[in-house]
Amino acid sequence: MTTVPSELAVETEAKGALPSGGAPTPARRVLHSLRTSPGAIASIVIIVAIALMAILAPVLSAITGWDPYEFDPTAIDSDLGGLPIGPLGGVSAEHWFGVEPGNGRDIFIRVAYGAQVSLLIAVSATLVTTTIGVVLGMIAGYFGGIADQVISRVMDFLMAFPTLIFMIALLSALPAGNRPALLVIVLSIFGWPYTARIIRGQTMSLRNSEFVEAARASGAKPLRIAFREVLPNLRGTIIVLATLAVPGYIGTEAGLSFLGVGVTPPTPSWGQMISTAVGWYAVDPMYFLIPGTFLFLTVFAFTVLGDHLRKALDTGDAA
Amino acid sequence: MKKGTVFIGLALAGSLALTGCTGGSGGSGGSASGGLSGEPATGGTLRVLQNADFSHLDPAQGFDGGVNNFYRLIYRTLTTQGAGEGAEGTEIVPDLATELGTPNEDNTVWTYTLKDDVFFEDGTPITSKDVKFGVERSLDPSISIGSPYAKIVLDIPEGYEGYYLSGPLDSIETPDDRTIVFHLNQPYADFDAVVGQAPFTPFPADADVTTTSIDQQPIASGPYRVTEYQRGSTLVLERNEHWDPETDEVRTAAPDSFEWTFGLDAATIDERMIAGQGEDANAIAGSVAPASIARIQTPEIQSRTVAGLQGCTTYMGLNTTKPGMDNVLVRQAINVAMDKEAVKDATGGSQLADIATTIMPPTVVGREEFDLYGTEDQTGDPEKAKELLAEAGYPDGFEFTLDIRNQPKMQAQAEAVQQSLAKAGITVNFNLIDTSTYYEVIGTLSQQHDAAITGWCPDWPTGATFLPPLFEGSQIFEKGNSNIAQLNDPAINERMAEIRLMTDVDEANAAWGALDEQIMELAPQVPLLYEKTVMVVGDNIAGAFSHAGFSGGIDYVSVGLKSAE
Repeated sequence: MTTVPSELAVETEAKGALPSGGAPTPARRVLHSLRTSPGAIASIVIIVAIALMAILAPVLSAITGWDPYEFDPTAIDSDLGGLPIGPLGGVSAEHWFGVEPGNGRDIFIRVAYGAQVSLLIAVSATLVTTTIGVVLGMIAGYFGGIADQVISRVMDFLMAFPTLIFMIALLSALPAGNRPALLVIVLSIFGWPYTARIIRGQTMSLRNSEFVEAARASGAKPLRIAFREVLPNLRGTIIVLATLAVPGYIGTEAGLSFLGVGVTPPTPSWGQMISTAVGWYAVDPMYFLIPGTFLFLTVFAFTVLGDHLRKALDTGDAA
Repeated sequence: MKKGTVFIGLALAGSLALTGCTGGSGGSGGSASGGLSGEPATGGTLRVLQNADFSHLDPAQGFDGGVNNFYRLIYRTLTTQGAGEGAEGTEIVPDLATELGTPNEDNTVWTYTLKDDVFFEDGTPITSKDVKFGVERSLDPSISIGSPYAKIVLDIPEGYEGYYLSGPLDSIETPDDRTIVFHLNQPYADFDAVVGQAPFTPFPADADVTTTSIDQQPIASGPYRVTEYQRGSTLVLERNEHWDPETDEVRTAAPDSFEWTFGLDAATIDERMIAGQGEDANAIAGSVAPASIARIQTPEIQSRTVAGLQGCTTYMGLNTTKPGMDNVLVRQAINVAMDKEAVKDATGGSQLADIATTIMPPTVVGREEFDLYGTEDQTGDPEKAKELLAEAGYPDGFEFTLDIRNQPKMQAQAEAVQQSLAKAGITVNFNLIDTSTYYEVIGTLSQQHDAAITGWCPDWPTGATFLPPLFEGSQIFEKGNSNIAQLNDPAINERMAEIRLMTDVDEANAAWGALDEQIMELAPQVPLLYEKTVMVVGDNIAGAFSHAGFSGGIDYVSVGLKSAE
């Protein structure tokens, strides 16, 4: 697959005729195309809202008067196994999304702080994997030879690994320490080859394009060519890959927390909330629905946005 | 040496919701309490839905509340615990023996006489030689992982490795077929309870019993025999025709057969028991999950709910050797700051737990009620805790690491502890440990941290099986340690030695009760909860009650069907 340039690659190559790269016109075209799509706008709104919620979690905590670790024994019924008092899992003016059974912690604030954890881990992992993936992918694609051989074999090895099982094993074996950092590292180790493979393929096709030949003929050094000529032409691909990677990492982080190897309690995490809520589905379905909905919306919004970006970049370039 | 093994009982009861039981005493806070009245009818098949299989069918190897309860269906011992609610269930009564043992003057030699007309499942009479053989085979190191008391109190020569390797044991004499005499290595007033432990089960001395054969094919001496067993999936017991009810005052044994289904998900069991449809009307199961408590409040389900204390204490042990924790004021501050209400709610609320104030649970004979560090509503007193901390030299707060199990209930408890101590300026960091290695880690001196949440169940409900394993200096072991507080206080050690020498069991029990308070003054632990079991049974079940001796599980030898049609 790596030797056959994707459609996107072909388009980028065509555009590559403008050596200046990063022309403002396609960018504006992409923005325009996104603006006219209701799906893209909706997903951007959701992402911004959730990002704001995550960033402003301490402020929200001050407004509602609950911090994510604070118990509220008055909101639960000790005689009913700790079930929240009131309808819909204890939804009230005081607790907007109800409370957790067993301890009365405010779900709204925990979801907000959970978003912080989720987004922080997913975005960090995306940054790390994209950086590693782009650098190694370009080295492999541009220089070829031994470098390509080594990097490609490492990628094959990592991609052939039963990733989830290995992550679970690794995270259970490692000391608790700084869990979010650990999660980012583990996600990155297994995540970068997916970016690197695509970047490698595209770099290989760009390497032989005329403007690169021209740069080479005019005496530019390989590194300069790679970063000044090739990289700008990969920009679209990188943006799409990164956008699509974020929901993947959010989902994986939630999954690992659900399985009990993600962030440690009492740090709020969506996956962990969903995991605890499973037992309560019959008597307190809201406890399951709320973090579940947020997880779904976030993953969905990032995926939709990524798809639209891809489409917009494709058509934008083609135009 | 009573280490390690006992908390397996709690581990199973707690983590797998295998069994549950109550003592009836100490008051069940919830609406459900006591047993289901009514005499069971003879006959029928009683079904048991269970998450995990029994640990071992070999009584030398199994050692937890659930399996000990089961052993009484197929095995008999010289004595056993009574069949009844509350204190009736924790009383030691004769079983194979005609009466309790006759000790010599200093309680080092005990003599028992066997009943007539007691038989194995193949019809051969049970003799004193079979009891002796049963004990001897249980001392084989490869299988002696069950109740350790035979090893502790019998006079066993150095290097004895069981019947097969070392031959007969001289310290057990059988002058005739009905009489058996035990020679002990120490005075032991409570020996009647020791011969009721599972490793004292008789097995035919002349039959082809090998070290491991019992675990595969048990030889029944009780009212039932194993007819079908598929590990992890089903176990069927049929009536043992050679068991004579006339010789047995403890077991009702009303059903004709028992059928276990293993490997069911805990939530599935709750669903099935709540619905109670079809064959499940004849079924019993272990304790329900907190999430199911709200669903069993209807009058119909309440009428078939059995509840009781597990007879264990859930506590947070404080490692008295760690810097800071070695200061008694700090440990007292942690006790004072603890919001036990929050811990209770995290565990499942008032129906699944009572708040603990003493080391020993209410089911223990001789236990005294006291509360050294409690507040009126048991929600903790952060201000007083801060004062104590300041006095101890920590005016800016204190920080420690808590070992916890990677398991929802334990995590919820730990979070409640963390939250309540935070109010007093005490920062709790978690060290999350996988459930399978948890006890190994906290039982290894070099690996345990400042504190750990765990539990303890007595092997029989007296202080003798509760306080020494947890607080005696000589019971601190490099590995497999149960004295996780690492308390080694000369006054306490001395008092324990004194109580052991008491020949009057009642006096000794009362002394253990008083020692409980003396130990709590040193605050080596925070007693958190006396957890309870709440079990829903099918609507055709009669005679079900929670037995205080078996982690609160329904007493198998008493339960039966209302109608055996």
